[in-house]
Amino acid sequence: MSAALTIPMEHGLLLAAILFSIGLLGVMVRRNIIFILMSLEIMLNACAMVFIIAGAHWGQPDGQIMFMLILSVAAAEVAVGLGLLLQVFRRFDSLDIDKANRMRG
Amino acid sequence: MINFLPLLPLMVLTGVILTLMMAIAFMRNLALSCGVSVIGLALTLGSIIWVNLNLEPAYVTPLLKVDDFGLLFSGIMVISALFISLLAYSYHKQRGEQQDEFFLLLLLATLGAVTLCLSVHFASFVLGLELLGISIYALISYPNQGQFSLESGLKYLILSGVSSAFILFGAGLLYAVSGTLSFADFAASGIGSTDSSKLFMLIGSAMMLAGIGFKLSLVPFHMWTPDVYEGAPAPVAGFLATISKGAVFAALMRFFLAADGYQYESIMTGLYWIAGLSMILGNILALLQSSIKRLLAYSSIAQFGYLMVAFIAVSELAGKHLAIEGAVFFLIAYFITTIGAFGVVTIMSDKAEDHDLDNLDAYEGLFWQRPLLAAFMSIMLLSLAGIPLTAGFIGKFYIVASGVESQLWYLLAVVVIGSGIGLFYYLRVIYAMTKKGLASSEVSIPVTSSWTMAAVTLLLLILGVYPAPVIEWVSNMALQLI
Repeated sequence: MSAALTIPMEHGLLLAAILFSIGLLGVMVRRNIIFILMSLEIMLNACAMVFIIAGAHWGQPDGQIMFMLILSVAAAEVAVGLGLLLQVFRRFDSLDIDKANRMRG
Repeated sequence: MINFLPLLPLMVLTGVILTLMMAIAFMRNLALSCGVSVIGLALTLGSIIWVNLNLEPAYVTPLLKVDDFGLLFSGIMVISALFISLLAYSYHKQRGEQQDEFFLLLLLATLGAVTLCLSVHFASFVLGLELLGISIYALISYPNQGQFSLESGLKYLILSGVSSAFILFGAGLLYAVSGTLSFADFAASGIGSTDSSKLFMLIGSAMMLAGIGFKLSLVPFHMWTPDVYEGAPAPVAGFLATISKGAVFAALMRFFLAADGYQYESIMTGLYWIAGLSMILGNILALLQSSIKRLLAYSSIAQFGYLMVAFIAVSELAGKHLAIEGAVFFLIAYFITTIGAFGVVTIMSDKAEDHDLDNLDAYEGLFWQRPLLAAFMSIMLLSLAGIPLTAGFIGKFYIVASGVESQLWYLLAVVVIGSGIGLFYYLRVIYAMTKKGLASSEVSIPVTSSWTMAAVTLLLLILGVYPAPVIEWVSNMALQLI
């Protein structure tokens, strides 16, 4: 048992849950696409944090491996997202998601 | 020393992707790109069959398990990708230059789907899911001139990202209480022994179900489906409705069977409601649509509701075998039918420049203008409605049979009501096509597309009239699982 484990796992998970909620709220209320992508990043980082905390709790390296996996996946996702964002800006001359939302439903 | 030979299908597919990437770098030629991907997919299919015949089911690293279940689903994914690439050829031929990467992205997404089908561990599950998802973002927004493709691509990216985050967070919580990332070890890890771990387990699985419900576009996580299907190019919409959903369903089924998710009452209640609501809302909202793509989107929501009935029926020990068999057969029938239906929309849109011809008006009098195409469409719609002599009928028969076996009476009532409503809107399209319209025009179907559609239709009818060989095959696979 190392010193890091003196913090209970629940506290770490609570922090991750708060981060996740902040990200989710950001995705829902922000109208600028860049901020939406950033909020998405926060959500994914919260997930990565859960894996780190759980990995530390069990003393396994699996959690950190999942962290790296999630990191690269999030990077790929944002790369495509930024590509689309550039196209949106070229076409609509704005980064407002509502301007780009012309479909019903 | 790990034996990597069972991973041959994945290696072949990866090799094809690299080859195609090099080919595009040196020479841009649509026919070449399509040819390489079709031959590559055929080779992959060959390797899947070879592995299935010659090798014993085996774990390859703790991440992937190559068994009959995974190989059967992989085979379905690869065959569907093959049909979609063939249909996409003439669609893209009309749409200017630089269309080659479409096939590259299609192959990458298929690789993700195959990985999902074989995964038995959260790491490979996430990898497959994201490979599939990220390729699809690019596929949806692929057309340069597309009217809605850009915004539907962006919409899908944001919502799919959120749902992936939900799945990951849920998986993280399950890992926190169980200490394992492997599906099979969940059952043995004794989750839910203490109060707090029970709570984490519940929150974690609820979040995972929400994320997976999004990927399968089940009610109440279905909002994105019609918009994205409408904006995506028709072949990609077909891909989304079949491969993208089917692969996630395969992974979900494997997870539930391995981790014995069926023992948790609250999860099953949630699934029960999700299935019922999907069937009701999907069918009712489909009634209101004037666009074929949106209609197919809502109908796919309803069809996955039917599929979930069989999925839930697996929980009863008595009907387990029948339910697995039914779910897989229904999925095969659904795949063929949906690819056919979107194939017709693809062929119709061949000549359209910046959008797909998916308004119902465009299909009026189709029987008089392009009788063959209208006949294909009618057969597909009849199969979706579950009319005898088509694969859809056998599929729906299985759903009802497995529901009866597991005594899911309420859900069965909803299946019957939903099918009744479904019949109405499917027939509405057929009725529109028979309207006396303009005289016969001289538009012919491109050769590749017509042969592909003929093959799809033939498969559909064979499965409907003589399903015994496929049933036997699926049944053997299901026996291995239990």
